[in-house]
Order: sequence, then C-alpha cells, then structure tokens
Amino acid sequence: MSADVASRRPPEPARTAVRPGPSRRAAAVRRWAASYALLTPALVLFGLFMLYPLVQAVRISLTNSTGIGTADFVGLQNYARMVSDPVFWRAAGNTGLLAVVSVPSSIAAGFGIALLLRDRLPARGVFRGLFLAPYVISGVVVAMAGRWIFDENVGIVDRTLGGLGLPAPDWQSGGTAAAVSVFVMLFWARTGLVVVLYLSALQGIDSDLLEAAELDGASRWQRVRFVSWPLLRPTTFFITVLMVIEVFQVFDVIRVMTGGGPAGATEILVTYAYTQGFQARREGYGSAIGVVVFLVILVATLLWWRVQRRAEEEQ
Amino acid sequence: MTRRPQPRPSRRSLLTAGAGTAGAAGLSACSGFSTDGGGGGSSTGGGPGTLTMITWAGDAELTAFQALADGFAAQGGPTVELQVVPYSEVLTAVDTGLRTDTPPDLFRVSYTDVAAYRTQGVLANLTDTADLEPAFLPAFWSAVTDDDGTFGIPHHTDTSMVLVNTAAVASAGLGALPTTLDAAWTWEQFADAARRVQPSRADTYAFAVNWQNAGAYRWLNFVDQAGGRLLTQDLSAVSADDPGMLKALTYTRDFFRQGLVPQASSSRGQPASDLFVNQTVAMVFAGDFLLEEIDGAGFDYQATFLPRDVNASADLGGNALVAVEASPNRDAALDFLAYCAGAQQMGDFCAAATVLPTRTDVDPASLDYAVRPDLMPLFVEQATTIREQLVQQVVVPDFSAVNAQLADQLDGIFLGSGDDAAALADLVAGVQSVLTS
Repeated sequence: MSADVASRRPPEPARTAVRPGPSRRAAAVRRWAASYALLTPALVLFGLFMLYPLVQAVRISLTNSTGIGTADFVGLQNYARMVSDPVFWRAAGNTGLLAVVSVPSSIAAGFGIALLLRDRLPARGVFRGLFLAPYVISGVVVAMAGRWIFDENVGIVDRTLGGLGLPAPDWQSGGTAAAVSVFVMLFWARTGLVVVLYLSALQGIDSDLLEAAELDGASRWQRVRFVSWPLLRPTTFFITVLMVIEVFQVFDVIRVMTGGGPAGATEILVTYAYTQGFQARREGYGSAIGVVVFLVILVATLLWWRVQRRAEEEQ
Repeated sequence: MTRRPQPRPSRRSLLTAGAGTAGAAGLSACSGFSTDGGGGGSSTGGGPGTLTMITWAGDAELTAFQALADGFAAQGGPTVELQVVPYSEVLTAVDTGLRTDTPPDLFRVSYTDVAAYRTQGVLANLTDTADLEPAFLPAFWSAVTDDDGTFGIPHHTDTSMVLVNTAAVASAGLGALPTTLDAAWTWEQFADAARRVQPSRADTYAFAVNWQNAGAYRWLNFVDQAGGRLLTQDLSAVSADDPGMLKALTYTRDFFRQGLVPQASSSRGQPASDLFVNQTVAMVFAGDFLLEEIDGAGFDYQATFLPRDVNASADLGGNALVAVEASPNRDAALDFLAYCAGAQQMGDFCAAATVLPTRTDVDPASLDYAVRPDLMPLFVEQATTIREQLVQQVVVPDFSAVNAQLADQLDGIFLGSGDDAAALADLVAGVQSVLTS
C-alpha cells in the first residue's frame, strides 16, 4: 500500500544549487526600485512633516528655549521640573480621566446608534451624514457653539433650567460643570465618527452567520453579544486607538470653551503645553510636555495592540 | 449617444503624477511660512525698497497705520507693507520670521513683551535719542529703555477706567460719578457703590474687572494702589509677605466671595467687556481701545476713575513699535520709527485709533477722537497715574511667564476657598518658580 502510494507520488524535482540568473536579479532590483519609487512621496512627506518636527521637538525639550534667539542645552531639566509641577500632574490626571470617560461612552453610544441605523432606519445615508457632520466641522465652531450653549450667564441651557425652576450649573466657574460641558461637546463631536465606522463594519458581517444564530435560537441580544461584537473586535480596536489619540490631541474645543479653567479643572496636557510654550514663553518646557504626550500615546497604543493580538491568538 | 470609456491610467502615468505632486509639496514646504513670494533675502519684505511690519489691527488702527505708511512714502521713504495678523498670533509670526532668518523689518509689540526681545538682541537700538527722549513721558520711555540703549518707540498708550451703565447706576442712586482724580472713589466707596447697584435680573452682577488671561497683570493695579509690590526693588525675586499684596488679594477676592462679580469673570474666564456689552454687569474695568466696540452695544454709559487706596494707580497699556536688528533694511526701519514718533503723526494715529499719546507735547484735548471724545480727557487724566514703580515690574524679561502664572494662580484663588495668607503664599511660590527658571 505504502509502496503503491509512493509510486503514485510525483517525482520530486532534483535539488540542485541554482543561483539566480542575471534576469532574476534584475527583476528583483526592478521590483525593489518600483517599491521605493512608490514609497518615496509618502516617506518624503512623513520625514518632512512628522519625523523632522518630532526630532526638533525632542531637541528643543532639552533646552531652555523661549522661542526667541539662542537657547542653552539644559539636559533633562525640563523633564525633572515636570515631576514637581502640580499643574502638570493635574493636567495629566484630567487627560487620563477624559480618556477613561469619553472613549468608552463614545464607543458604546456609537455602537448602539450603528445597530439601530443598520436594521431599522430608512434613509440611512442621510442619518450617516448627520451623525458625521459634527466630526467634520471645525473644532473651533463646535467650541463656539458649546460656549454659547453653556454660558452660565446668557446660555440657553441655564436659561431653560432657570425657567423650569431648576438649579443652573456654573458651567464656566464650577470645575465639575465645566468638565461636563467640555465632555458633552466632545462626545457630540466625536461619536458620529464611531457610528459611521461601526455601521460600515456591521454591514460587512456575513448575514448567513446572523441567520444561522437566529435559527439556533439566539435572541437579538445574544446575536449582538456573541456574533456581531466578537466579529467587530478589529474595528473596536481601531476606534479605541483612534479615540485615545484624539483625546490626547484635543485642543481647540477646550481652548475656546474654557481655556483650561476654571482653576485648572479642564486643563489637559496639550493645552498646558501650549500655554507654557507660547504664552509663558517657556518653549523648552512646553516641548518637553509634548514629548511626554507622544511617548504616552505610543506606549498606550503598543500595549493595547499587544493585548489585542494576544486575545486574537487565544481565539 | 454613448460615452466613450476613459482610458485607465497606466502605472507609469500614476508614478509621474505622484512624483509631480510630491515635488510640488516639497517645493511648497521649502517656501516655509513666508506670506509672500518675495523671499530670497533675509527679510519677509517684498524686496529692496520695501519695509515689512507685522502688526495686529482693528479697522480703525489699520487705517491709521496705513496713513503712517503712506505719509512716510510721501516723504521719500520706502514703502511700508503691513502684515496684519490676529493679536494672539502676532508674536508667533514674529518668532517664526526670526527663526527662519526671514524677520520682519518692524513689528508692533506690547510694552510687557519688549524686554523678552531686547535681552535676546533682536531689537535695533535707536542711537540718536537726545531729541526724542525729552518729548516722551518718562514712564513710557523707560518701558523701551535700559542701560544699553533705547529699543523702540513708545507709540501710544491706553489704560483702564471704570465704565458704568448709566441706567443701572441711576437705579442705584449713586449720584454724580467722580470726574476728577482727586475725587476718585476710595476702595471702600467703590465696594459700597458696587453693593448698591441693583441687578436688573437674578443673573446679573455689579461689575467685572479686565484681568482675564493676558490681562492678568492688571490685578497688579490693586497691589500698587495698596502700596504693595509683586517684585522686589531689584526685580530679581517676588516680594514675600508683602502687606500691600495681601491687602489687594483680600479686597479683590471679596469681589467673588460677596457675589459682586460673575464667577465666570475670573482670570481665566470670559473677557470683562463681553459681560458689559451683554449687560451681565453694570460696570466694567475697560481700556479706552475698547470704546469703539462698547459703543456699538446700544446703551448709554459713562466713565469714572479706577478706585484708589494708598495710591492712585493704573495699568500700563499700549504698544511700542520696534525695528529688527538683523533686518537688511535696519536703517530705513529706524527712520520709519522716528517718523512715527513725530508729534503730528502720533496725534493723528491716536485720534483715529482711540488711544492716548505718549508724547508730552501732544495735547489729547486737541485730538479729534472719533469715538466718545467726551470720555478721552478722563482717560488722559487716568493715564497720569501709570506709576513707574509698577511699569518697572511689568517690563522684566520674564514677564510673559509671570503673567501666565498670575492668570493661573489668581483663577484658583478667586474661585477657591481657604485662607488668604495661604493663597498668597501659593501665588508667590508660583511666580517665583518661573522667575528663577
């Protein structure tokens, strides 16, 4: 039997040390050249607008630059100063809190809205556009709208609450209220993107899977929990990373709405870096804060990526 | 009628297009931040025979600056090209030019920022000032002068007064407002008047002070009025345990504790003038340069002097014009400064822009102010209380950092609770931390 099988096996090609001929080498070189020719524009732009500024930011963070004239090398002095700077730690805490609160809530709301839009709603395209609109318009416009809506003296929210006999929060001078107003505007502006991304991903799920689960007796919730949600894991991973990075880059909305106040209640690392770099003229210190923000995002993304990959491998 | 199918782009044509796009992007990147195509030289200017001046300006100021440029050209000087940028971006625009070796020839700068540029050797020295110096009020001349020379001209000034909504104070029965410096309200009288102003709605307040953000240094008016100092006499450190500073802190903190001012008008809050324009407050501390904006609000208002305590004191507002040392057109730029410092030119500018002259021989009463000419003599009188002791403290090289620290610290103090002495200790420590760095 085994001999019979062996006799039916096609003969293996003779293993001889064949060196690639000149034509194969030339083809490899052509492929290599074509690849890099295609990559070059992207690499040039990346180098000019990403890598070079990043290296410069690190360099400036090691100086006492004021933004004018010459600067002296001060080593890690700016980083050491951060350790004893209470405003830095408060800004770091606020940034972390904003990420912890806003990212899961945007993902939950975005996923829920996407589920509703997928199944039931006519004119989905219109609603998709409506939800994405706040994300597309300028952050300054969003912030200006928020500033008027939540103005504690003449804003529509407090006027309405006052008219109903309810207490009107101090959106500008109360720390918690100011943070809530910023969160609400960011939530409104960012969730639309999550909706659109989840909607696209949901439409890519094979309907046979959901139908099979339904035939097996899975309830609507079970189909979402045990079929759709696991299949959306890559999308959720992408959205999480994107939203965390966005939280660490929020500037315009806070700058216009609260300026980091009151009493530092809405100060986050990016607004603090700007204040130090441009208003206080401590460019070296501001750059050091920027470098720390970059490292935090980098490490957080790598960690999250590893966790995600491990989870996929276990599956 | 059928449409002919478009040929698909080949890989080669895509590569060519990509290379072209990248080339264009690279070339545009190489052009840096220059706002005109002139380039090529070491100035942002439009070429030889043209001076470039970076400034911020409202409509009236722009017209006034353009009139200066036209007058200079009419006298045979080079063309002055105005680059108008938003106030918040002006220093960034100047710094970018300096960094890329394309500095402007001239720029407009607040007195509190002059020293930061002077100490870095950015500003050209006006060598021949023997004729100019006696013509200027000493407080303003000292704002642009140190032991090494004079690094700009004090072009104009503005200062704060208390603007009062006429209807609101009439209902409070305050009577006639003080119209001379000697009769200015004392701190106690001002606080009493504020308490008597009856808010027209539950969400209105007696007044707001203009110490928000970059204006945080105006809190030092109160310190100086109380006879205190933020910085020591040699300007090298913060005055610890200064009784005048503690008195000012308690007095101004009471504004918030007693609900006389909106909580949102703290030092990181909303601009005080906005609160006056939308009638959230009945009185506001405001500079004369805001009269044009406030005048459009559609209600009557008057002005009276800043309250006084041990001293009468007002903030150093206004701006200097400076020339850049590294400019290839340095000498022509200095000529333009000398032209702008002329009595006639300064008077015309001030009348058009609703600001005050810094020359002693320009009589503000003779100027034809376009907005509230009746109030300008009061501002002129108030400006005489800009004290050199205070000026010296707000023109130190580190003042940008000091001012930012003041805004942060005062915001926490005004909106927070706790002991005044402890709050002052925090403020002192905060300001000291940026002075010593």
